[in-house]
Formats: sequence, C-alpha cells, structure tokens
Amino acid sequence: MKLDTSGLETTMPVIGFGSNSEMLDGFSSVPSFDLPRTTDFDGFQKKAVEMVKPAKGTTTLAFIFKEGVMVAADSRASMGGYISSQSVKKIIEINPYMLGTMAGGAADCQFWHRNLGIKCRLHELANKRRISVSGASKLLANMLYSYRGMGLSVGTMIAGWDETGPGLYYVDNEGGRLKGDRFSVGSGSPYAYGVLDSGYKFDMSVEEASELARRSIYHATFRDGASGGVASVYHVGPQGWKKLSGDDVGELHYHYYPVTPVTAEHVMEEAAE
Amino acid sequence: MSIFEYNGSAVVAMVGKNCFAIASDRRLGVQLQTIATDFQRISKIHDHLFIGLSGLATDVQTLYQRLVFRHKLYQLREERDMKPETFASLVSAILYEKRFGPFLCQPVIAGLGDDNKPFICTMDSIGAKELAKDFVVSGTASESLYGACEAMFKPDMEAEELFETISQALLSSVDRDCLSGWGGHVYVVTPNEVKERILKGRMD
Repeated sequence: MKLDTSGLETTMPVIGFGSNSEMLDGFSSVPSFDLPRTTDFDGFQKKAVEMVKPAKGTTTLAFIFKEGVMVAADSRASMGGYISSQSVKKIIEINPYMLGTMAGGAADCQFWHRNLGIKCRLHELANKRRISVSGASKLLANMLYSYRGMGLSVGTMIAGWDETGPGLYYVDNEGGRLKGDRFSVGSGSPYAYGVLDSGYKFDMSVEEASELARRSIYHATFRDGASGGVASVYHVGPQGWKKLSGDDVGELHYHYYPVTPVTAEHVMEEAAE
Repeated sequence: MSIFEYNGSAVVAMVGKNCFAIASDRRLGVQLQTIATDFQRISKIHDHLFIGLSGLATDVQTLYQRLVFRHKLYQLREERDMKPETFASLVSAILYEKRFGPFLCQPVIAGLGDDNKPFICTMDSIGAKELAKDFVVSGTASESLYGACEAMFKPDMEAEELFETISQALLSSVDRDCLSGWGGHVYVVTPNEVKERILKGRMD
C-alpha cells in the first residue's frame, strides 16, 4: 500500500514568486500573491507592515467546559482613536461545527478563515470524514507561518467539536499554535481574563457559562477603549455551534448596575441685579 | 497616539437665548485603559462663567487651579467678578506665557456677559482665541462633535431645548470615539440658575 505523503508536500508554489499560476487549478497550490517590484524589498516590507499594523483592538475569548466550548467576542472596529464600526462580526463560522474568532486585521482574519473553510471541506471530500479541530488549526498555523514577517495580523482561536470531544486552539500570525482550555485575545483580554479566570469552573451549565462569557466581554468593553458594541456569545456542542445571544453592552451596563435615582438639590442663584 | 490623546476628552459649549450650555464627557483613561468614569473637566470660575478643559488631565487640573487663583486675586482687587471676555484674554495670556513648553490642553470658555449676553470661545494650547456665535468644541472627539453640532444646532434655543441638543450632540459624538465617553456632564446656565446634570451614556 502506497503511503499517502500528500500532507508532507510543501505548500509553497514551486514555479516561483509573482509568476502566473493560472495554469494550475485554483486550489492545489497555496494562493500566491503578486509581490511588489521594488529595489528595496526589505524596507518596503517594513513600511508595509507598519502601515497595516493594527493594535488588535478587540476582546475575544473562548473556553472549554463540561458541555462544550463557549466562544464570545465584542463587535467594535477602531482605527486609532476613531470607532469605524460597532457592528463587526468577529466570530466567523468556518463550518457548521467549527468557529474562528477574529482579532487583528479584519481582512486578514476574514480571508484566512474562509480559506481554512475551503480546505476543511476539501479534506472532508477527499477523506470521507470531517477534519479534526487539531488538524484544522494546524492547516491554518502552517499557512500563517509561511507568511511570517510579511505583516499579516491574525490572533485567532479555532473552537470546534470533533470525535475526541471539544477542541480549542490559539493560532497567531507568528505561526504559533497552542492547545488550551481558556484563551482570550486582544487589547481587552487582560480585563476579560480577570473575570473569566475568577468565575471559571469546569462543571458549569450552558446558562452559567454563557453568563460568564457575556460578563467577561462586558467588563473588557468597560475598561478597554478599543472594545465595545455588542457582546456575542456562541456555544459549540456535539451537534455543532449555536448563537446564544448578542447583547448591546451599553444596555448590559445598566442591567448589571442599575442607576438609582438620587434627588438632586438645585442650587438657586440670586438673580444678578 | 499623540500626547493630546493620552487621556481622552470631549468638551462642547453652545449658545442659546440668554443662556448657554457647556458639556463634557467623564472618562479618564491612560491610552486605551479606562481609569475613572467621574473625571471633572468643567469647572466654575464664578456663577456666570465656566471653563471646560480638554487634553492632558494633569494640565487640566493644574491650569484650572492657576486660573481660579488669578480670578480670586482679581475679585479681591476689583471687588467684582470677571467678565467672560476679560477672562478669555487672561487665559490666552497665561497659555502664551508657556509658548515654548505649553500646557497640553485646549480650553472652552463659556459665560454670560453684560445684559446676560452669552459668550463662548475656545483656544488652542498656546492661546489662539476662537470666538463663535453658535458652538465651540474641543478634545479627541472634536471632529465628530463639529459634525453633530453643525447638524443639530439652531439659534435662540431656550434652556430645556438647548440641554437636549447639547446632550444628543455630545453622546452621539463620543459614541464614535474610543477615548472619550463613559457618561456626560452638562451645565445649563441662565441668568437666574445653574442646572448641573449627569448623562447616562454608553459605558464602552
């Protein structure tokens, strides 16, 4: 029986950078991007990286518990100090049983998650079974590693349910890939970790876990300027993912900390004569 | 982010019919982290004169203390309150004294002058006065504030309508700024009374 070594084949295009690869069919090689024609390639790359470098202004979190994986994120997109949108979808549905979270460059995360979804589907068709979370995250990590140093900004978590149960991996643009039970990514992550770590128990019901996730995102949006908007909470169970809630954090604040009306004392000023 | 955006702020003042309103946000932050949600940016100089300071928080507090000191001396010597126009000139002079090491704040001055005529003006950090007949803005959310005020302002509004307008303009502008917001503080001043109100805003 011939060993299937297709997994070991290099994903770098063999023909050479920047050349026309229309002769190959679209997906058997990695998408090859045109590279700029410039004399100072290193300097150009540095400047491009600086220009694209967003500060990963966001809060996303995911954790594994008894009933599966809970995934939550805010929905604010910021450009420096300006809020460009309060309604960004940061939890990306890769396929019906796997979710990815977005932190860093929106374009980068959207493109590479969609690309991952394509690869997962191809794996299913080729192998007649679903890809594992471990395998999917490895595909993404290897892809990002091959673009290391070129200014991609991706801090994502891949959460899913496969034959071995719930799976959660953190993958970033440096090519790092970590397996774990609890992660939070983004500028609001320290605040989310504070609430998440102190409230976490493995034996939680789905309601308790979703309330913990929602609260952690809310606290991060309160303290972090670059997080806000709507706190979305998803649950990944054996049947796949399901969106549990999407609450506006402005309203959540007054829900958790209602304002008690205080009678103010009007200061009556003497009419100036 | 520049030094003016270190703490984050939003201040706006509007003119109405024989009254004025001055409003600010309440956030004190250190770049993206929020430290406090009850920071005082608007201060009373006397019953018909208020100053709102945006920019670096330490300079906001120090400059306010210096101005109160100067005004109290003036009150002792002249036995009366300072007119808003005079006070604006005083602030402008104090800021220009530090031309080559400036206070990193932009003041918004609002007051009722002779015949209860409302007076507003703003300045850059080295004292360039900008008088306006309708509204003045300052802070990290200033561009959004310009747009909101321009759209919502009408001349000769009464005190209640002025309060609604300035509150809506402030809240909608700070909702587009990461560094300001977390509530609002509004003073509406008529010849007979000063109404101070705290706004419930988005806390994100």
